[in-house]
Amino acid sequence: MRSFSSLLSCIAVLSSFAAAELNLSQPLLSKQVLASTFKPPQVFKNVNLVRTTNLDKGFPRETINVIIENVDAKPQSEYYLPFESSLISRVGGLEVKDKKSPEKGALRVEVVGFDTASSTEFYLIHLPTPLAPKEQQTLSISYSVLSALKPVPAQISQADKQYVQYTFSVYTPSAYLTEKQKTKVKFPSADVPDYTTVSAELNAEKKADPQKQGSTFSYGPYDNVPAGAEELVSVRYEFTKPIAHASLLERDIEVSHWGGNLATEERYWLSNLGASLKNHFSRVEWQKQSYMNPPTTALKALNVPLAAGALNPYFTDDIGNVSTSRFRTGKRESNLELKPRYPIFGGWKYSFRVGWDADLNTYLRKLSTGESYVLKVPFLEGPKSPEGIQYERIHLRVILPEGATNVKYSTSVPIVDSHTDIHKTFMDTIGRSSLTLTAINLVDDFRDRDLIVTYDYPWTAGFRKPIVITLGAFVVFTAAWVVGNLDTSIGKKKVA
Amino acid sequence: MSSPLLDVWEAASTSPYSPSVGKGAQFTIAFLLLFTSLFLAGVFSLNRSIITLPILGIPASLAFGFGAVYMICAVGVYV
Repeated sequence: MRSFSSLLSCIAVLSSFAAAELNLSQPLLSKQVLASTFKPPQVFKNVNLVRTTNLDKGFPRETINVIIENVDAKPQSEYYLPFESSLISRVGGLEVKDKKSPEKGALRVEVVGFDTASSTEFYLIHLPTPLAPKEQQTLSISYSVLSALKPVPAQISQADKQYVQYTFSVYTPSAYLTEKQKTKVKFPSADVPDYTTVSAELNAEKKADPQKQGSTFSYGPYDNVPAGAEELVSVRYEFTKPIAHASLLERDIEVSHWGGNLATEERYWLSNLGASLKNHFSRVEWQKQSYMNPPTTALKALNVPLAAGALNPYFTDDIGNVSTSRFRTGKRESNLELKPRYPIFGGWKYSFRVGWDADLNTYLRKLSTGESYVLKVPFLEGPKSPEGIQYERIHLRVILPEGATNVKYSTSVPIVDSHTDIHKTFMDTIGRSSLTLTAINLVDDFRDRDLIVTYDYPWTAGFRKPIVITLGAFVVFTAAWVVGNLDTSIGKKKVA
Repeated sequence: MSSPLLDVWEAASTSPYSPSVGKGAQFTIAFLLLFTSLFLAGVFSLNRSIITLPILGIPASLAFGFGAVYMICAVGVYV
């Protein structure tokens, strides 16, 4: 009997080894991603390209520094960046800067889909000044890829280490010939049990590929990679941290001129994309290990730094008030420490809302030109943690006072949709103007970006609320007088 | 990084918005106004006539209108 059980455990151990290997349900192939129907005009070449993939957080962050050269006879200003359509829907926060003059800000970038049947779509980068023939320019392209890490094995025990797998192309996808390129992968630790090795023949220096240096791997250099070439590789590394993912964040910012208040409310639909639990959750084991505070894949707490002067915070979920939160106020920053009702393990979900007030005078200014106001608020606040948090979709609603017109906004966050409509709430007669902005695929690196909104708000519109109530009250007085003067007596009228 | 609206924001740096009644005074003002309104309504109820209707009714209505707006702010529903 004992030998039978030991045989079983041997099988179990062996099968767990098998499950822990690189999960290659998608074969790693070399392929050509440029569609046959549209090929960007070959007016550029990439002279030198260095890509850095940073895997410190729960989503890969890519930075591509590329020297581009115009090989056409005319000045050119449109640079295409190809992505597969399955990938482009998960690419977020793509920003392009001129490496030599980053203070000029991000270049204008737009998504262009030339052919719906094609599997490749493009980001089109507009250079601010057309690049003359034979001229060179250095671009710094940065973006994050959401939902890109896949836990392998997909199920682990409560106290196990988590390993995640990331598949990417060692040839940086480009619509142009790349003369020389290199990919550096920065891991959170040196614990990288599995990775794809690329044949040394492809390597320009005929060295083993990748080269390892502590927690950094470098693939390449590669010479003269044709446009659209891809060479997929996979890496599997330790990441015993939660992978926090908000499928939706609704954020309301409400301006009150009467109360001198800026009210913020955020509603989160949060989940952990990490490896799910192999067995049932054991509260005893959790309590035992939480005493030693080891790294865990569960999301235990969320730390929300707020601006100084935040007041009256609240933290509720579907059940009601969640009492396990702390609010620390400080001169420079306030801190809201939230503890969900339960640790959020891989595959688990938690939705909640937090809100707070603030004095309006630090966020709103009156323009000297008349009855116009300018509002400056953070586009995104929310939790801050070393492992990061990714937002699939953000609906930001700025609720302006009733009667505000001529609403304009500006932000450096990439927006996919914006519209103004009417929001009706307490004491409103015509409803308040609200500006709704939608952004997709953002990460918490965008926390410090601002949104500036200007609007016209005449003082007559401001008095709408008290005047409406005043008129209502006066109608009651008049009605009382009219009803009080009605003669309801029976019989003939007495003549005095 | 500069944008036209950011310049607008910077240009208005000397005039931050401040409401005519600060957060700390809202409850006091609201209570006084609502109490005045109640008192005037009480006086009016004792002597309802075409003369007292405007003399007492209009100030009472105004006090109730502004008092209600400040009271809802004072209790945390910032309108």
